[in-house]
Parts: sequence; C-alpha cells; structure tokens
Amino acid sequence: MSDSRTKVSVIVADDDPDIRSLVAFAALKAGLDLVDELGNGDDAWDSIVAFTPDLAVLDVAMPGKTGLELCRLIRADARVSTMHVVLLSAAVDEVSQQLGRDAGADDYLTKPFSPRQLAERLSLLAPSIGVRS
Amino acid sequence: MKIAALYKRLGVDAPSPLLKQAPTALLYVAAVLGVSLSPVLLIASPGEVAIGVALILAATVFAVVIGPRQSLWDWGLIIPGVDFIAIGLLRDGTGASTSAFAALVALPLVWFAAEEGRQYVLYAALGTAITVFMPFILGKSFVNSHEMLIRGGFSVLVFGVAAAVINELSRTARHRLNKVRRLAEQGKDMLAESVQHAIELKQSEAKVREAEQMLRGLWYAVTEQSIIGTDVTGLIDAWAPGAERMLGNRDADVEGKFYIDHFHLPEELLERARELDYPAGATVLNPGFSALVEAARKGDAEVREWTYVRQDGSHIPVELSVTARVDERGETVGYLFVGHDITKAREVARLKDEFVGLISHELRTPLSSILGYLELMRDEDETELSSSQLRYLGVAERNAHRLLRLVGDLLFTAQVESGKFNLDQHEQDLAPIITASVESARPVATAAGITLYTELVEGLCVNGDAVRLGQACDNLISNAIKFTPSGGSVTVGLSAAGSDVVITVQDTGMGIAAAELDKLFSRFFRATTATRNAVPGVGLGLVITRAIIRAHGGDMGVTSEEGVFTCFSINLPMLEHADALTSA
Repeated sequence: MSDSRTKVSVIVADDDPDIRSLVAFAALKAGLDLVDELGNGDDAWDSIVAFTPDLAVLDVAMPGKTGLELCRLIRADARVSTMHVVLLSAAVDEVSQQLGRDAGADDYLTKPFSPRQLAERLSLLAPSIGVRS
Repeated sequence: MKIAALYKRLGVDAPSPLLKQAPTALLYVAAVLGVSLSPVLLIASPGEVAIGVALILAATVFAVVIGPRQSLWDWGLIIPGVDFIAIGLLRDGTGASTSAFAALVALPLVWFAAEEGRQYVLYAALGTAITVFMPFILGKSFVNSHEMLIRGGFSVLVFGVAAAVINELSRTARHRLNKVRRLAEQGKDMLAESVQHAIELKQSEAKVREAEQMLRGLWYAVTEQSIIGTDVTGLIDAWAPGAERMLGNRDADVEGKFYIDHFHLPEELLERARELDYPAGATVLNPGFSALVEAARKGDAEVREWTYVRQDGSHIPVELSVTARVDERGETVGYLFVGHDITKAREVARLKDEFVGLISHELRTPLSSILGYLELMRDEDETELSSSQLRYLGVAERNAHRLLRLVGDLLFTAQVESGKFNLDQHEQDLAPIITASVESARPVATAAGITLYTELVEGLCVNGDAVRLGQACDNLISNAIKFTPSGGSVTVGLSAAGSDVVITVQDTGMGIAAAELDKLFSRFFRATTATRNAVPGVGLGLVITRAIIRAHGGDMGVTSEEGVFTCFSINLPMLEHADALTSA
C-alpha cells in the first residue's frame, strides 16, 4: 500500500459533523489523501493505529479521548509517534495553546477558521510532512 | 421638716415685732392694772401713766401693722425705743426710784441687745438711761444728790453690762445657728447630689446591661462567620458560636486550651512566614502565628485567604480578617480573627469559569461552521453568484463576524473579572501603535464622511502589550466614528503630561449626558444618545478598554458636552526611554 501512496494521508476527527466536513473539504482542496473522518476520540485512536496516516487534524474537545490525550498517545506510541498533528480548538487563550504544544502538537488552530486559509496552510505543510514510507 | 414648720409658725427662728412686743405690752398693762387696783400702791402722776399706756399701745399697733411686711421690720427698733420712754413714764408716774416697775426695762433692753452688732449695746444702755433718768428729763427733779446719780448711773451700768452679755450670747448663738443652717444646707445638697448619683448610676447600669445584651445578641447572631479571640500569644480566649458551627469544636473545649495556629494548615502559615522573610529562627518564636498577625500587629486590618482545619480534619477555605484587640490605654492585648467561609464563592468562581469555557466552545463552534460554509459558498467555482446573492452573503458574513466579536468581548470581560488576564509587556513606542489603529479605521471613517486627524508626539514609550494597547485605541477610535455624524471629525492625540503619557480621542459627535458619564464604564451600559440614535453596540467596549488600561497601571477619563463633543483620555505611566535618558 505504501508504494501506491503519492499523496500525504490525513484523518480528521471532530464531534461536530459540519466542522468535520469543513476540515475534510480543506484537506481535499489542499490535495491530501483523506483516509478517514471520525466523530469521537476513541474511534480516532483506532483509525490512527489502523491507518498510520501522515497527518491528523484533531478537535481538542471531543467525547471519548480528547485531542490532547490523543496527541500524547501518538507521541508515546512508536508506530505513529512521528506523524504530524494539528489541534483544532475553540479556546483562544494562551494557556490552552501552551497545553496543546506541551502535548506534542505541531500546530494549533483556533475556531473559527477560514477553510480557504486552512487549505493553503495544509498544502504548504504537505511537502515538509512528506509521504512516510 | 415638722420642727422647721413649727419654728416658722412660732416665729422663733425670726420672731416678728409683735411677738417681741407682746411680753412688754402685757406686763405693762398688768402693771398699770395692778397699781390701779392695789390699795397700797399709788399712782403719783396719772397723766404720765396714761401717756405711757398710750405709747405702749401705739408701739404695739405699729408692731401689728409691720408684722406681715418683713421688709419693714428694720423700723421695728422704734418699738423698744418707745417702750423705754413708756416704761420711764410708768416708773416716774408710780414713784420714780421707789417704783416697783423698773425691772420692766429689761424687756426692751433684751430686744436691743439681741440685735446683731455691738452698737445695740450702747442703744440698750441709752434706752435704760432714758428710763432711769426720766424724772430728770421731765424736769421734775434735779441731779442734786450724789447718791441718786450713783444709783441711776449704776443701774444703767448694770443693765448696759447685761445688754453686752446678751449681745455677745446672741451673737454666739446666731453664729452657731448659722453654722447649723449652713451644715443643714450642705447636708441637703449632698443628699440631693447622692440621689442624683444613684439615679445616674442606675441609668448607666441599664445602659451597660443593654450594651452587654446587644453584644451578646450579636455574638450569638453571627453564625455564618467564625469569630475567634486570642491573647497576644495566640491562646484562644473567645470562641463564638459561629466558630463552633464552622470548625466543630465547642467553646469549652477550646478556650484556654488551644492556640489559634492549631486550626490552620501549618504549611500555609510557614509559607506566609517565608514570604514575610523572617530571619531564620532568630527573633520570632512562632513564625506561623507571627505571619498570621503580622499586619494586625502593625495596626492594619488585613483580609487574606487561609485554610482552616476542622475538628474532623477536613479543610475549609476562609477569608480571614485579623485585627488587634486593644485595652483602654491602646496597648495590644490580643487579636480577633473573623473568618468567612468562601467555599461557595470558590464554587461560584469555578462555575463561572466553566460557563465561560462552555460559551467559548458552544458559541464559537457553530460560528465556525457558519463562517466556513459562507466562505465555501463565496469560493464556489462551478456557478457564478449573482450580485444580489453576493450582497446577501456579505450581510450574513458581517453579522456572523459581529456575533464572533461579541463572544470574544464577553470572554475577554470574563477573563478580566476572574483575573486571568495576562499582558505580554515590553517597551512600546506608542505613536506607531496609534498610527496603525488610525489607519485601520480610516476606510470606515471615510465611508461615514468623517475626517480623521492625528496630533502625535513621537518617541513616547510605555511598558505595555502592543496588541492590547492597539485594541484599546481601536475601541476608542471606532466608538468615536460610530458616534459622530457625517461631516464631523475625530482627532487622536498623544502627548506627555508629567510622568504620564496621555492618549486622547476627541470627536465632534453627539456627546453624552453629564448624568451618564460615571456609568459609562459599567458593563452593558449604553448612553441615551447611543440608543436614541440607534448606534449599534452592547456596552462592553469601554469596559474592556478600561480593563486593559488599568492592567497597564493607567486610567481613563472622559469629558463631554451633549451635541458638541466627547473626549476620552488614557493616562499611562511613561517609560523613560533609554535614548531620552542619554540625550538628557
């Protein structure tokens, strides 16, 4: 499977289906390979372990495992520890962003976001993330 | 009282002229009757006796007349004077030196002699002399014999000496009487005084009792606060029912047995002691207790949050006010600890934080969707949107952004109130920050037909957060534009005033009523001019602006005249610029 992959693979997790679709739309627009969309943290973890994607865009406040918990799990698990993580949150304060960085997130995105700008950001990110073999 | 009344009735205390005259008059009449009826005695000169009787009667009538008028009693001495003459006439009329009635002279003599003053002794002697020498005065006989002169003179001398003795005795008696009277007066005064004292004592006793009851009532009424009293060493000597309720221990189990620090967390006390920087173990015997009463010992009333340890070992957060107890000389004799349970307050604060977090998430998430999908619609490549569709989109987007700003403002206000409002402070040159705010507002101002002016002094620096200061300027400038009608102007100024930097934003707008100026910085307050002119807003902008300025150690002010202008000013402590220092 890895040989056939030419695009950066991404999974998106957010309990709000509208936001999830919006992020998915931006990912597709950025030319990424959207492998899965999940509505809660537990499903997201299963999916991450199953697909070992290059990138995960995770909502911080989700039922089941939160984005922060997922982030810590990812960094602690050798199978996926090197993947790129973007956290998405409605909290705009410094403390929340610092918590995200401490958990090991590469990027912290606050709501509301512009899908256009998110797409641009993801497409800029893609080359640096690279397709993991 | 009864004796005094009797005395008064009898006139013994100050006998009336009639009372004094009565014996003389009675004895005189008795003498005349006696001599008239006696077969042995004879009246040698009935005319003289008749005149004597007439004089006695006249004197007695006079006594009766002046009797009720005490002011006339000074004239009363005429009476014994007349008596002397009348007795002289009686004596002469009944045989002169052989008369049996010479002794009557003693009565007016006593009257004179008892008067106050030595001169009356002389008058008494003179009166006696008139009586004794009446025959000579009337010219009936002459001083022709040695013997008569000696006899008459001797009588006058004896009576004179008697008068002197009486005068002296009555003087002594009068003196004693006065003394007794004075003592009686004093006694009366003292009695009245002690009665007054007794009344006052009773009244003040009642007052003390009332105050004590009030205090006791208060002591038992305060059930939601714990009041604990200690001596200067911290040994508990007063334990209010509120303390029992809060901490569980009964007063009898605590008073005189425990020290106040027994009910505190030791680590909290030691932490405070460290903060106060007591020299290690040196002069302070109990650093924890000293830390607790530090401010009170210096005469301040301190309110600080501590943790009490209950009887069952559980902890309770309290807001504790510590004050010194002083005696009447002003010396500190102990301390009072009034604790207020803040468990609920903390819970409320936590809930508020939670609520703010919830709002943050629950409002921002749907707004994210709205704004995101609106953008997708605008970016739709497949079908071209009509101009009216684009206009509708614009309205929806503008209002979604407005809602987002409102959420942001609410969050910010909540952060300010809960003290979770951090500033990223550095040395900031204010002129560029203000210029940026003015330039970003220029398109809106131009569209509204308002001219923007700046009068900025360059190089004025403060220690501040550039983003927050920019936000404050944005708020004031956008307010000024909103409240100024087309054709007006807004002038933004920056200058130095003493040790402060002053930013002013002055408009030529609708102004604010004087009565509303002090409410302007209250949350959700909107000026009448704002609502009347339908200027949009919710009343948070100025609250936020002032919070930002105060967090920088500055303050805000406002002056306005309705229909003429409004001028907001910001004062910030100036930071001495390094260049300015070196060039100075």
